[in-house]
Amino acid sequence: MTAPYKAAALEPETTGPLIMALPKGRILGECGELLDRAGVHPAADYADESSRRLRFPTDDPDLDVVRVRPFDVATFVAFGAAEIGICGADVLMEFDYPEIYAPLDLGIGVCRISVAEPQETAGSDDPTRWSRVRVATKYPTIARRHFAARGVHADVVSLNGAMELAPGLGLSRLIVDLVQSGATLKANGLVETEVIANITSRFIVNRTALKTRPEAIGGWINRFRTALS
Amino acid sequence: MTDDDLPGNNPALLPAGLRDLLPPEAETEAGAVESLMDVFAAHGYQRVKPPLLEFEDNLLAGSGAAVAEQTFRLMDPDSQRMMGLRADTTPQVARIATTRLANAPRPLRLSYAGQCLRVRGSQLDPDRQVAQAGIELIGPDAPAADAEIVLVGAEALASVGLDRLSFDLTIPTLAQALLDDAGIVGAQRQALSRGLDRKDVAAVVRHGGKLADVLTDLLRAAGPADRALAALREAALPEAARALAGRLAETVAAIRARAPALRLTIDPVEFRGFRYHTGICVTVYAPGRREELGRGGRYVCGETEPATGLTLFPDAVLRAAPPRAPRARLFVPLGADPARAAALRGEGFATVAALDAFEDTSAEARRLRCTHVLLDGEAVALNTDG
Repeated sequence: MTAPYKAAALEPETTGPLIMALPKGRILGECGELLDRAGVHPAADYADESSRRLRFPTDDPDLDVVRVRPFDVATFVAFGAAEIGICGADVLMEFDYPEIYAPLDLGIGVCRISVAEPQETAGSDDPTRWSRVRVATKYPTIARRHFAARGVHADVVSLNGAMELAPGLGLSRLIVDLVQSGATLKANGLVETEVIANITSRFIVNRTALKTRPEAIGGWINRFRTALS
Repeated sequence: MTDDDLPGNNPALLPAGLRDLLPPEAETEAGAVESLMDVFAAHGYQRVKPPLLEFEDNLLAGSGAAVAEQTFRLMDPDSQRMMGLRADTTPQVARIATTRLANAPRPLRLSYAGQCLRVRGSQLDPDRQVAQAGIELIGPDAPAADAEIVLVGAEALASVGLDRLSFDLTIPTLAQALLDDAGIVGAQRQALSRGLDRKDVAAVVRHGGKLADVLTDLLRAAGPADRALAALREAALPEAARALAGRLAETVAAIRARAPALRLTIDPVEFRGFRYHTGICVTVYAPGRREELGRGGRYVCGETEPATGLTLFPDAVLRAAPPRAPRARLFVPLGADPARAAALRGEGFATVAALDAFEDTSAEARRLRCTHVLLDGEAVALNTDG
């Protein structure tokens, strides 16, 4: 048998609060005002990145907030560990979880996912002649898919940060990364050569939760939609 | 690393997505499948048993095409033809209905239970061997048939203790009918379909063209059946889509007439995972559970024959169902009256016969995980704490 885990099954009907997953870092700051307008008022230390607490009650007994890494928001919601969440479209593109619905574009966390390379190599040859290219990125799926559509196989070097160093140190020819202002690229001698997609943050929902608790989840979608307009 | 260090050398390790069922779960599973099948049989669904392997051409024809990429294949050394290991049973039952049972009277009601294999599990659902127990209702194309599938499914699940269920009804062809009517094709259709699939309103607005408003309204209508039906009635639908919505309303009415308390939700523009379906489809959920307990819907059997069916997933059903008490195990010491032991078996005990004499019978019984011991002709419950 499969090793037992805490299964909601054992409780006949879900009675606990809904869980909303929020991403640490950049987007958390930007979504504070929106959360406020939508009526989500978590315990005060939720936005304090130095707080050790990861799960925060809100003034609504039926909603708790968890704070996780941006990439993990999608995973928590896909598995139904959190029913709703806020997540960058970059993460949704990378994981492509079929279990996640993204009913609202929140219009925050605006940036783009782009291809960049050193100033000196950019435009030095014709990319349509490439068979393969080495790419440093934390978005292996997006990078592979993007180049595959152009008939180029991407050899991905998976990094978790400091992508901008990779071309200069001979780790890769290109990088695929999030670009907000372009300042980091510029400071490291890179130029943005292609925009793969424009990114904003989305309000996301677990598919099964929407099917089985349509009133509660639908209520939250409406509150965020109202908060946006 | 030497070969000895490879984890593959541990005899307990199974390939990804496969597992052993041990006592008492294996018995519980078999019992649950039989409860489901009993309800199917009681409603006139007669059991068929297709083989595990079939020629690939037949297995993947028609409705089987949807699972082609999930099908294990091997070559038949005998005929030198490719065979496929079933990843779904419905196409096999459809084949039986259109070939060997082509002359059987319609409506034809068939049921089946068995294991399927698929090439890949997903991160969310890693199982590669999946049990199925299901019914197919072949011949009629009517709301009453669509409703019967739901009602029989609900009764089967109730027989294993699942009485709080949620049936999500969809019409996978509705979105297609809308897109066809609006003449949306090519890359735009692809992007729009994807947006609909992910309920990504931003993408639907971007790619929806003149359909953006109606599609957005329908996306937002997903939820309790009455609200969704009202939204469908109000939406500006072309004729083909209007007919589908009408059929959905009739089906809901037919279900309500027989089972007014059954919880129904509707997702008008959902088409996920229903690639061979042509009409009303259904997905079964249990509130609080994160996985589907079953799914089914209307499809075309063979070339032209209307059919509908429902497949339950016993693994998921068991995870959701209230636990069953395992059979009480009675230790029978050496020399005990065999007739008495037989009588107790008749009362539902499993008897475990001693093959030796033991000084402390109760201790031996406990060691063998028995719940009772036969003393002086009586089944005495063991204190299992010690």
